[in-house]
Amino acid sequence: MKNQIKDLRAARGWSQAELAAQLSVSRQTVIAIENGRYDPSLPLAFAIARLFGMAIEAIFEG
Amino acid sequence: MIGSEGCVTNGTRYIKELSASLLLYAGVLAASIWLLNGHWLAATWRPAIALAPMLPIAGCCWVILRQFRRMDEMQVRMQLEGLGFSFVGTAMLTLGYGLLEGVGYPRLTMFWVWPLMAVLWVVGGFMARRRYQ
Repeated sequence: MKNQIKDLRAARGWSQAELAAQLSVSRQTVIAIENGRYDPSLPLAFAIARLFGMAIEAIFEG
Repeated sequence: MIGSEGCVTNGTRYIKELSASLLLYAGVLAASIWLLNGHWLAATWRPAIALAPMLPIAGCCWVILRQFRRMDEMQVRMQLEGLGFSFVGTAMLTLGYGLLEGVGYPRLTMFWVWPLMAVLWVVGGFMARRRYQ
């Protein structure tokens, strides 16, 4: 699943490790989501959307 | 076998706890073998002494299960894929060899099953890791 996380993270000046810490996941998981290799669960997708202050559908594309 | 990249503190704690359990296992196993080889032990105590190394192994199991609960969702998924690979691989190899035993291949002890499963768990975990990288 494509997503805007890499751009949103870069716009806020966060490293992958910082984003991972805020989401309580590993950096490896952030990398996999950013690269579209892993689709997060709905609770994690909601947490990501909440963190960036956006709607889920604005971050993730089917 | 269980990685937690990015969760360095948890990963380090896991390695320490697992290493301590394995060291304890090695110590209890050595003591158990020494006692059993002494032949002065009462027969009623021999099964208990032979099973004594299982106590630190139970500790290992507890450490591993605790690490599972600390993982995030993708790490759990990778472990599940690794364990699934290990489960079906062990089933195929042990059942296959069981059939070969029926035609004269040497009988192997059950001790082989766990190392086989562990090796396949590592291989399956590596494959799952590659899939998500």
